[in-house]
Amino acid sequence: MKTFKEFSIKQNIIIAMMTIMISVILLSSVSYYFIFNSSMNDIVESGSKEINKQIIFNYENYINDVLNTARQIQQDTIEYDMATSEAELQDIYNKSVKVNENTISIVLLGLDGNIILSSNNVAVQNTYLEEKDWFENALLDYSIFYFSSPHQQNVFRDSNANVISVSKVISYILNGEKQNAVLLIDISTETIVNLSDHTNLGEGGHIVILNDDDSLVYSSISSCYSDTCESITIAKEIIIGGSYVTVDGIKMYASVNTLNATRWRIATFSNVEILNSSRTNMFLILSLIMVVTITVVFYFANIITRRITSPLNKLNKHMLEIQENGVSYSPLEVEGQKEIIILSNAFNNMISEIRILMERVLREQKEKRKTEFIALQTQINPHFLYNTLDSIIWLSENNLNEQVVEMIVALSKYFRISISKGKTIITAKEELEHARSYLLIQKIRYSSKFDYSFVVDENIYDVKAVKLILQPLIENAIYHGISGDEDGIIIIRAYKKEELMVFEVENNGYGLTDSQIDGIYDNMKSEINNTSIGLKNVYQRLKLYYGEKANLEIISELDEKTIVKLTYPLKAKVK
Amino acid sequence: MKKIVILLLIFMFSMTLSSCKKTNYEVPFILYDEEDLFMMSFRDSIFTNNSSDITFRMYDSTDSQIIQNEIINGVLKDSPKLIIVNPVDRLGAYTIIEKSKLTDTPIIFINREPLETDLLSWDKVYYVGAKPEQSAIFQAELVMELFGGNPNDLNHYDLNGDGKIQCIILKGQEGHQDAEIRTEAVVNEMEENGYDLDILKIESADFRTSVAFDLMNELLPIYRDQIEVIFSNNDAMAIGAINALIEDGFFADDNLDGKVDSNTINWIPVVGIDGIEEAIQLIEDGYLYGTVINDSESMAKAVIELSNAIFNDREPDTISYTIELGKYIWIDYEKYSQPIVED
Repeated sequence: MKTFKEFSIKQNIIIAMMTIMISVILLSSVSYYFIFNSSMNDIVESGSKEINKQIIFNYENYINDVLNTARQIQQDTIEYDMATSEAELQDIYNKSVKVNENTISIVLLGLDGNIILSSNNVAVQNTYLEEKDWFENALLDYSIFYFSSPHQQNVFRDSNANVISVSKVISYILNGEKQNAVLLIDISTETIVNLSDHTNLGEGGHIVILNDDDSLVYSSISSCYSDTCESITIAKEIIIGGSYVTVDGIKMYASVNTLNATRWRIATFSNVEILNSSRTNMFLILSLIMVVTITVVFYFANIITRRITSPLNKLNKHMLEIQENGVSYSPLEVEGQKEIIILSNAFNNMISEIRILMERVLREQKEKRKTEFIALQTQINPHFLYNTLDSIIWLSENNLNEQVVEMIVALSKYFRISISKGKTIITAKEELEHARSYLLIQKIRYSSKFDYSFVVDENIYDVKAVKLILQPLIENAIYHGISGDEDGIIIIRAYKKEELMVFEVENNGYGLTDSQIDGIYDNMKSEINNTSIGLKNVYQRLKLYYGEKANLEIISELDEKTIVKLTYPLKAKVK
Repeated sequence: MKKIVILLLIFMFSMTLSSCKKTNYEVPFILYDEEDLFMMSFRDSIFTNNSSDITFRMYDSTDSQIIQNEIINGVLKDSPKLIIVNPVDRLGAYTIIEKSKLTDTPIIFINREPLETDLLSWDKVYYVGAKPEQSAIFQAELVMELFGGNPNDLNHYDLNGDGKIQCIILKGQEGHQDAEIRTEAVVNEMEENGYDLDILKIESADFRTSVAFDLMNELLPIYRDQIEVIFSNNDAMAIGAINALIEDGFFADDNLDGKVDSNTINWIPVVGIDGIEEAIQLIEDGYLYGTVINDSESMAKAVIELSNAIFNDREPDTISYTIELGKYIWIDYEKYSQPIVED
């Protein structure tokens, strides 16, 4: 994986911006989605619960009506003695059936199963009451009204109508004695069906009613007709309470509650597909927002980075061009941010500086070659050699052998140092030795028309010196500084002064006027070659090798003396 | 950068996931109706008698089984060590038991007795309450004492001297187990002891003072001169009846000392059940003849003791109350009445 350092600025900026934006949007979207989801759930859940409550309320009202009728009959039954007032009771039973349109029949059965009293419409058929759960269950607990599942009551009448049997053990009076009997009130299932029809449970929403053994009492949908249908199973698992479920692939909120005064539980399934669709919508909206934002961010990130990087790229391209084609002064014109302009200006300045420096280096190199060529010329000055050899010939012809030897030894030393195995830097001692050899030869040649002396501080012997800087000065001193009428004296001095190495060549000739000295200086520093090569060559070589601190100075007193003084730093690094 | 993002996400998730854990020292206590006078005094008894580590947290079902179901669903989510339920509908209690089985949470039912089959369906269900028959028997005994204790020789409270006791029975809520049993048992007890009851009217006043007041205002014009005793299924209805009687001119405070004399002609014996504070005060002041005190304090103590046993995983039968069938703790009623003055 690439580290961030390997990415370009553009990539970095885009990655940073995208990461920040995506995480911010993602974070807010996710939290918003979850909050939306949970509050949506709450709303749907409480809505479903409300519907469930309403339905239960309706059913309970109905059941209370039934129970009120039943209790009234229970109360009436105990008020009359069956032996004496059967007709009155019969009348009450009949009226109750008439008044309550849901009530189909009212029967009072002895615990042995015989009919004691019944409303008019009951015709006895057969009596296998032991198989009838409304009979059996009523006997289980005397304190409660038992509500049966809808069933066909074929015990008493020819009818296929489904009824719900409400039964309870009650008391009746026979000959002043209290007896127990089972009161059975059959009610039509019509109301239960009707109540479920008027519910607002949405498409596919339905009601199931379960008995305490989780068996199906009633279901408002035809697809649920047995105890094992999906809705029953769900209600069974929930027991009481609510939860989101899926029935037949439809998302529903199932709410299960008990139905007061019965052992029944009623489960309502309300369609909550709206939850799914609104969730999907929210998801789509959030995704859309995300995509749009990311696109916009990407677009702007691109623009911003282009504004930053395009001048940088231009600069980069320019640099590459320079790298390939060398420095050519065509200043870079860049538009963009302040920093970039500063950068490009600095770059332009640098390039022009480099150009100047390069030109200078080029010129200096040229100069150096020239001076070295001249120095080389000086090393093996043929005229000097011819003249010296002539002098030696002349000396030997006059049998001045000692001087011949002296001369040849000096010449040999002179050339050895001149050449110095091609080195350009030698010690001060060798340079002085060279000067001495040269003076000795010239003195013999000029028949002792001048004299010379050395004033040398021995401490400078090991100081490095550029080769052949004294000889041209001495040559000048001999040719220009020796007057005919008195003996010329040339004094060579070498010493340290502070951090400087100093060589002086003094003659006692006519001297030079200030304007003459200025002329020499001008000549020395100019780049035009003219006759006075010696001084200029020395001067330029000093500057070349030792830099700005090296100097050549001419001090002159008219008719007294002239001193040419060379100075250069002791610790100079020779270029 | 990525690490920060991941850390942020982890932080977010941990925030949402870490739902504050509730201390399990709380025992949910679900009342059927906080406005019920007896439940009020019972709740107070629970608080004043509880010196254990556990605290009872009261929930009010506002007399709605649906709300009670919701409360139970809610509290079971926190897996309490047990719950105490005063069921709204005794027939619906089996669902509460089934629901608690899922989380293995023991239940103590109080005050309204679930069906025996339901109680026996799981060994971690208990019932603490009084036997409704007993209250009726005690009520009958109070009346029998008042009439002299001999069914064949009724004293002067048999106003018309016919040897029968003319009575009105104020019944509680129709279909309510207590109402049914109390009504039936009080009549049975009287008759079994040889007293001849002439029931002028049995009418439901829904256990409520105001309903009883209105009902009595209806009945008084008809039965004013015949009534020899009024049986009420609870004190609240008895108070309503007394208020109606006072308005009609009964219970005249002749000497204006704030008390009435039971031996005056315009005094009618009214008996209630429950022993709520107002009823006790009315007995002190001579209005109400007597009541059968539903001993909320004993019941509260039994509930606290049983709760602690279950809470601390002790065997429930180690407590100082007898547990019948491993299920039932029966709290005895107490009779409370004006002193009977023999003349």
